[in-house]
Amino acid sequence: MLSCRALRKSYVAERGEVLAVDGIDLDVEAGRYAAIIGRSGSGKSSLMAMVGGLSRPSDGSVTIDGTDIWGLSDDKLAAFRNRRIGFVFQFASLLPTLRLVDNVALPAMLGKRGDGDTYGKAAMLLGRMGLGDHLDAYPSECSAGEQRRAAIARALINDPVLLLADEPTSDLDEQTEIEIMDELLAVNRELGTTLVLVTHNLALAEQAEQIVHIAGGTIAS
Amino acid sequence: MRWLLLSLALQNLGRRKARSFLLIAAVALGSGVVFTGAVLMQSIDRSMAVGFTRLGADMMVVPEGALTNITASLLVVEPTELVLDADALAKARITSLGRIAAQKVVRVEHSGIGSHHESADLIGFEPAQDFTVQPWLSEKLNRPMQQGDVILGAVRDGVLGSQLLIFGKPHVVYGRLGRTGVGTHERGVFMSFATLDALGEAIGGHGTKPAVLAPGKVTGFLAELAPGATPLQARFAILSNVKGVKVVAGDTTLSGIRQGLAALLDGIVALMVLMFASTALMVSVLFSAIVTERRAELGLLKAIGARRGQVLGVMVTEAILATGIGGILGVVLGVLVMRLFERSLVYYLENVGVPFLWVDLPRTIAFAVGAIVLAAAIGVVGVLYPAWRASRRDAYDLVRGGT
Repeated sequence: MLSCRALRKSYVAERGEVLAVDGIDLDVEAGRYAAIIGRSGSGKSSLMAMVGGLSRPSDGSVTIDGTDIWGLSDDKLAAFRNRRIGFVFQFASLLPTLRLVDNVALPAMLGKRGDGDTYGKAAMLLGRMGLGDHLDAYPSECSAGEQRRAAIARALINDPVLLLADEPTSDLDEQTEIEIMDELLAVNRELGTTLVLVTHNLALAEQAEQIVHIAGGTIAS
Repeated sequence: MRWLLLSLALQNLGRRKARSFLLIAAVALGSGVVFTGAVLMQSIDRSMAVGFTRLGADMMVVPEGALTNITASLLVVEPTELVLDADALAKARITSLGRIAAQKVVRVEHSGIGSHHESADLIGFEPAQDFTVQPWLSEKLNRPMQQGDVILGAVRDGVLGSQLLIFGKPHVVYGRLGRTGVGTHERGVFMSFATLDALGEAIGGHGTKPAVLAPGKVTGFLAELAPGATPLQARFAILSNVKGVKVVAGDTTLSGIRQGLAALLDGIVALMVLMFASTALMVSVLFSAIVTERRAELGLLKAIGARRGQVLGVMVTEAILATGIGGILGVVLGVLVMRLFERSLVYYLENVGVPFLWVDLPRTIAFAVGAIVLAAAIGVVGVLYPAWRASRRDAYDLVRGGT
């Protein structure tokens, strides 16, 4: 389902070239829950950005469902991200000027799939996340946990085949962290969506069917 | 989708109310200046075209032996028995002269105009070349002047459109002139060369026809200086190239004011352009900062599938909204300023007899639309480059707020 080959990412910094990811090969089967773990600066977020089509690799390829995503044009890659990949970031990633229901509906509307039912589906997803009574609320009126659950709902609006979560609970309290992880795992198990979680929290990774340990830009184990 | 992006842009404007207010205010000032400036400049230009023409010609060219009275405004050549060739000035090709209008003046008695023994000046002019008679029309028939029409000086009685017999021949009162203070102008009866020539036999009576009514002859010329030319240059050129003439200069202060004001208006246009350019630069800098501030949001939009055009669209929509609103407010501000202007300066000018002609409504509306479109265009130009740069970057870099 997800296949990375010889993936490499380097940045030009003031002190010269920095190699963030150095020739990683990775395969994740459809419907699995994979955790990418590693210390800060190990290259796990850079890896996830390349896997998700958010950051162009310096070298190598990423294939999702048989599509070499970095061989696509910018607009086709945007459309692919929109339809096939859902993201949950490590920060409150909602647009502050839109209501929760607008935030959730936005990806469907960007992909021109917005129809009469888009808002109905957005409301259903928010309801599933326990935010049925927060449809018209703005992000600033919600707690961090509620915002993160709304971000999960948004990631699911286009029925993605791959859900990428980059440190989704890093700034949340323990109880909320458990709730968010339960939601992500439920999506993985109930909808069959492949889940790739990037975290430095080993406890969160323990439930994963596949654990990839990154250190110094390469797979350590 | 468009409504959602529009709503997003509107909400973004509302997020930083003080900044949005200042941005809109700056654009409103810029577009207000452009709109007001354009309307006023056009109005001043029109008013100057009439007002300065009403000041008369800069110089009068008459036969050398003619007796002339010095008047502040050269509106009519002095009646005299002496004549000049109608093409005398044209043949000389004097570059220091601008517009030239020939006139034929015949002083007559027993013409049927006024009381029995009253003398009257019949003044012939070529309507297409005239610039000293018609600007003084206070009322006229709603059609072009034609043969058989006469225009009455301010002190002559006659109802517009009524018949006036001159030497027994019927003429139509086509128009009436306002008060000029120049005697010949006030008492004159003005008509085209063709109309005056048709009266030739009647004016001559049993005697000979006045020499000025002979074909190709005129009493004199009223002339305007070419832009930048001085009265001395023109006088020298005329006397050097045309024999047997006398040059009577008008009030040189007036020609100086005319030329000076034309230069001043050009300067005001240049200042307007500079002010608008500085507004455009400021808007550009501001939007550059706004795009930088919104990097994470733009990155998020890209991450969830916004195409490059959609990312650009969000920022451009926001810019058009802000600067377009500014443009509309600028036009409203401009209208208010012009109302104030009309109630003060224009009212004063009209009270002292200086005409101020506003630009017509369709052109005013065109200027208003132009100012709004220009304001919106400044927003588009201002945001386009920073937004384009942001749209080209990796979504991940933007999400992380990298520079």
